[in-house]
Amino acid sequence: MLEISHIDVYYGDLQALWDVSLTIGDGEIVTLVGSNGAGKSAIMKTISGLLKPKNGSISFDGIRLDRLPAHRIVELGISMVPEGRRLFPQMSVLENLEVGASIRAARKVRHDTIDWIYELFPILRERAKQRAGTLSGGEQQMLAIGRALMSQPRLLLIDEMSLGLSPLLVQEISRVIKDITKSRKLTIFLVEQDVHMALSMADRGYIIENGRIQDQGDAKALLCSGHIQEAYLGIGPAEKTG
Amino acid sequence: MESVIQTIAYGIVVGALYGLVALGLGLIMGIMKFLNIAHGSFIILGGYVCYWLFTLWKIDPYLSIPLVIIAMFLIGLILYKLTLSPLLKLPHIGMRIDNSLLITFGVIYVLDNAATLLWTPNVRSIVTSYTGEALNFFDIKLSITGLCGLGIAVLVAVVLHFILNRTYFGKHVRAATQDADAASLSGINVQRTYLISCGIAVAMAGVAGVAIVSSYSITPSGGLSWLLIGIVVMVLAGEGNINAILPAGIILGLLESASIFVVGAQYRQAVALVIFIIVLMFRPQGLFARRE
Repeated sequence: MLEISHIDVYYGDLQALWDVSLTIGDGEIVTLVGSNGAGKSAIMKTISGLLKPKNGSISFDGIRLDRLPAHRIVELGISMVPEGRRLFPQMSVLENLEVGASIRAARKVRHDTIDWIYELFPILRERAKQRAGTLSGGEQQMLAIGRALMSQPRLLLIDEMSLGLSPLLVQEISRVIKDITKSRKLTIFLVEQDVHMALSMADRGYIIENGRIQDQGDAKALLCSGHIQEAYLGIGPAEKTG
Repeated sequence: MESVIQTIAYGIVVGALYGLVALGLGLIMGIMKFLNIAHGSFIILGGYVCYWLFTLWKIDPYLSIPLVIIAMFLIGLILYKLTLSPLLKLPHIGMRIDNSLLITFGVIYVLDNAATLLWTPNVRSIVTSYTGEALNFFDIKLSITGLCGLGIAVLVAVVLHFILNRTYFGKHVRAATQDADAASLSGINVQRTYLISCGIAVAMAGVAGVAIVSSYSITPSGGLSWLLIGIVVMVLAGEGNINAILPAGIILGLLESASIFVVGAQYRQAVALVIFIIVLMFRPQGLFARRE
């Protein structure tokens, strides 16, 4: 479905990604985990068109994405929930959802999609006329996911879903996302600092460190690997054996 | 008492025109963070287009508004494509404001000199059968052209409000104003939204030019004083608060009119600038800025 091949990405003169390659298959939940500043968000921004790779290519169902503007990538069926939600704070919840359906195909069915989003996150229906900037953190994350779903994507990119949310809320949102992947055959690419949550939820995972992919494989296998347990979960050799 | 009511009515009529003058300026600043200091020159250009349509084809100034809108909209598209769109690559909003100020300063020279070549430096105005005529409402005298200006200002503000709040394009504009990257990620073609918005802003400058050339006179270098008024109104309304521009214009008009009683008519513009400084000192976010 999505193939990233040997990309180098820069923030101005500063290189953020070195020779990164990864693939995401149809219907999969794939996660990219790594510490703060490892280059996770750079990959997300590059896929969604906010950053352009200097070398390498990105293709989605055989179509090259790496020279397309962000709005064209949404039209192809890729939508992103950005880090920090990036809602339109002075617009209402309903307006934020409507803006999510800006592409022509999604606009035609927006009323049905809004009803579906309200079923997924009933609190958004109650808050429909409230300005997005006044919502709580959890409600804002639900709205950000809802807005991204409004464009009827086939691939949903979620950047740091758990940031600033309570574990209980993260669990609830994770459950909704898993349900959507099954019911709508949605493919998910999840970028997370919460390694345990992300690998527990995903089918496959990639580990990124200092802008380079360090490891990849089955998510459950990665979760059990010594390197992950020591570097990200704080479980030392003594604790594992003891 | 009669003169007080007359002054208030005059303040509202003049203030509405001030609001109309500031609408295009506020739209470009609010959406794209460009300070278009050539806005006054575009107002004058709109006035000259209207003047030409009147003198060459005898088209009534108010009936010429659709033609002026089309011409100025196209000029706005050219302005955006040639001068403003390259600035979007600048990394910071501050750099965008600084560079747009410098570039549009150059545009002032181009427009003012082109106007001098085409229409000479002489004062131009439109004299119709109703110029200088006034209507009486309960002993309050208001000129027909002033009332037409008021009507046009209210109509333009209402149409703009409708576009921004009730249409998909308006939602795109508001989304791009608040977060351009997030708007792109929602599938909005931000570049096209900016392009059309710039066209609309310059078209609104053109409409203001029609109202001005019908009530006052214009010269090629006359844009600066209208630009100053536009900036004062924009600051009173609060940056990006487009819905508050017309009320802010009316407040400025009323304060200016009231100042005639207190300090005399010759200091009217000075009073506007003093108000501008006071607002900047004590409420830099504008009189109508909402708390987040």
